[in-house]
Amino acid sequence: MDFLVNLLAIWARLYPSLVSGFAVTISVALAAIPLALLGALLLTPLRMWGGSIIHAVTGAYIEFMRNTPLLLQIYLIYFGLPLLGLYPSEFMCGVIGIAMQHAAFLAEIYRGGIESISQRQWDAARAMGMTWAKALRNVILPQAGLRILGPIGNQLIILVKDTSLVSAIGVVDLTMVGKVSIERLAVTLEIFLAIALIYLALTGVLGAVLRIIERRVLERIG
Amino acid sequence: MPMIEIRDLRKSYAELEVLKGISFDVEKGEVVVVLGPSGSGKSTMLRCINLLEEFQGGGIRIDGEAIGYTTTEGGKRRRRKEAENAKLREQVGMVFQSFNLFPHRTVLQNVMMGPLKVKGIARREAEALARDLLKKVGLLDKADQYPARLSGGQQQRVGIARALAMQPKVMLFDEVTSALDPELVGEVLRVMRQLAQEGMTMIIVTHEIHFARDVGDRIIFMDHGAIVEEGLPANILANPKSDRFKQFLRRYQGDYLDT
Amino acid sequence: MTPNVLINNLPYLLKGALVTLELSVVVLIAGNLLGLVIGIVATSVGRIGQSLITAYIFVLRGIPILVIMLLGYYAFPALGYRVPAYVAVGVAQIIYVSAFVAEIVRSAILSVPSGQIAAARSLGMRRFSILKEIVLPQATRIAIPPLLNNSLTAIKQTSYVSVVGVWELTYAAREVVERTLASFQIFLGVMAIYFIICYPLSLLARRWERRAAVVQ
Repeated sequence: MDFLVNLLAIWARLYPSLVSGFAVTISVALAAIPLALLGALLLTPLRMWGGSIIHAVTGAYIEFMRNTPLLLQIYLIYFGLPLLGLYPSEFMCGVIGIAMQHAAFLAEIYRGGIESISQRQWDAARAMGMTWAKALRNVILPQAGLRILGPIGNQLIILVKDTSLVSAIGVVDLTMVGKVSIERLAVTLEIFLAIALIYLALTGVLGAVLRIIERRVLERIG
Repeated sequence: MPMIEIRDLRKSYAELEVLKGISFDVEKGEVVVVLGPSGSGKSTMLRCINLLEEFQGGGIRIDGEAIGYTTTEGGKRRRRKEAENAKLREQVGMVFQSFNLFPHRTVLQNVMMGPLKVKGIARREAEALARDLLKKVGLLDKADQYPARLSGGQQQRVGIARALAMQPKVMLFDEVTSALDPELVGEVLRVMRQLAQEGMTMIIVTHEIHFARDVGDRIIFMDHGAIVEEGLPANILANPKSDRFKQFLRRYQGDYLDT
Repeated sequence: MTPNVLINNLPYLLKGALVTLELSVVVLIAGNLLGLVIGIVATSVGRIGQSLITAYIFVLRGIPILVIMLLGYYAFPALGYRVPAYVAVGVAQIIYVSAFVAEIVRSAILSVPSGQIAAARSLGMRRFSILKEIVLPQATRIAIPPLLNNSLTAIKQTSYVSVVGVWELTYAAREVVERTLASFQIFLGVMAIYFIICYPLSLLARRWERRAAVVQ
């Protein structure tokens, strides 16, 4: 019982830092998510329908992103860009790194979605005189879009968790608040418990929202 | 001029030749029924007519215009542009064995899709046209449902309405009752019979021999990629000439004699 | 411009790669075994057991691995144990991996069509036999692609231990860069090393995905 009271007292003291850390975490996520979604939107048509060179180059990019750790990508951007004369903030470096990695994964998800639409839908669309482009726009993409909502949601939750890596280059996000507080406030386990719970709440709520969206979609299409 | 002209149609999948020089005409208003065992190439042949399948040899004309390939002055074979082929496809309606309705749209939207998105007809007109067609196939009350909620027979009738919405000159039917439960077949055949009576040019690939006899103006029997027998239903069903056709009829004799 | 710095430091970096590989092997073997057990148990226990396991999986999958490692790093001393950093962090990684494996295993087992189990029971098969002959072979086939992908992720995640002060390839890379400032050469070179380790696994996962799709 004592432990619990102590814990709550400590958490009350840490509240301001936790809130600001949480705000930074959310900012990183909100900045990276649209970049990743749009980046993948650019990558996918290049990958699927570009000429053989473009197809190979985007393929190589995607494979490289998928087979190397995000941490290294962030380090590369953070330590490398200054050598080229660019000095983006730590925040920007983190956002760019996260967006680039997740764009690669999302591009594969988009592609999987389009390829999963049966050839028969193409047949039906073309049989009524639709060109390839019209068929893609009116029949294939709407269906693919609905199908990939689930996988996209999962990928975005992973993205939110990956924002914790920006603490490695000094961005004071929720995770960094923990590391900083250890010296300043002489607390250890308590703060990381709080941080863990906040992340859990964040991913939990996101997950629930995504599941609701998915269910609505499935109800419509049955 | 015949509505459909097919000359020496040839198609191969890699080494395997599946269409070995098919030739026949279909006149306006004619109902041609194509019979044949599985693997005879009849569905492939049908899918060549609206270029859902490529073909390597021969030519197909729809109301006088060549689809897919033309011969240049030098005698070479040239592929027509995709836009040209798509335009020709607008004149040919196709109904599929697996219905292929668009699951993300309602029944009404499915039928409207062609006029709206391909022909660019105004939404109100397209909707009126779609409702008329749904009434014609007996499914107006399902207009706002999604395809997943309909039975197989109902989905197939929607498929027919969707194809008719383009006001095609020819309708192609690719084994449209094969995937249906027996009790649902009748409702689809009824719609097709009505279409035939209204004078639509139809090419029907099917197993339903009695339908061929009732509705067909001409029967073509295919086997192993070639036309083996051709003629009026009354004649060739009663007096099959080739052994292979006799064999085929005997296998389906149960269905045939029962009607 | 030749990558001199990279070449000069390659021995040092390769030592780091060795540590990464050792860490990966330990985490993968222990994590997969633990996850396998938990996943199988999840399908045969009662309501309470299932809730516990679901909570375990939910919590571990909802928190970033970095935070879990930091928790592990500070939890041991707080509970009175003095363990080296790499043990605390290694345990954290093993537990993290096990949660994902458990979820994959559980859903693979549950996705075996119940009709088959009904058929097996109607033949008089006992529960253990059914598990061994019918469920596990099919569940394995379903589970392998996601398990391979998960292992791929786990290997990449060993790089995060560097943030907590454990020495491996990524830590070594940072050391070298801080000393030589040759960020591009070193980081790209180290990424290439990770790529060489991971890409074969990625291809394997892809091939299994295709095989699983064909069978379905």
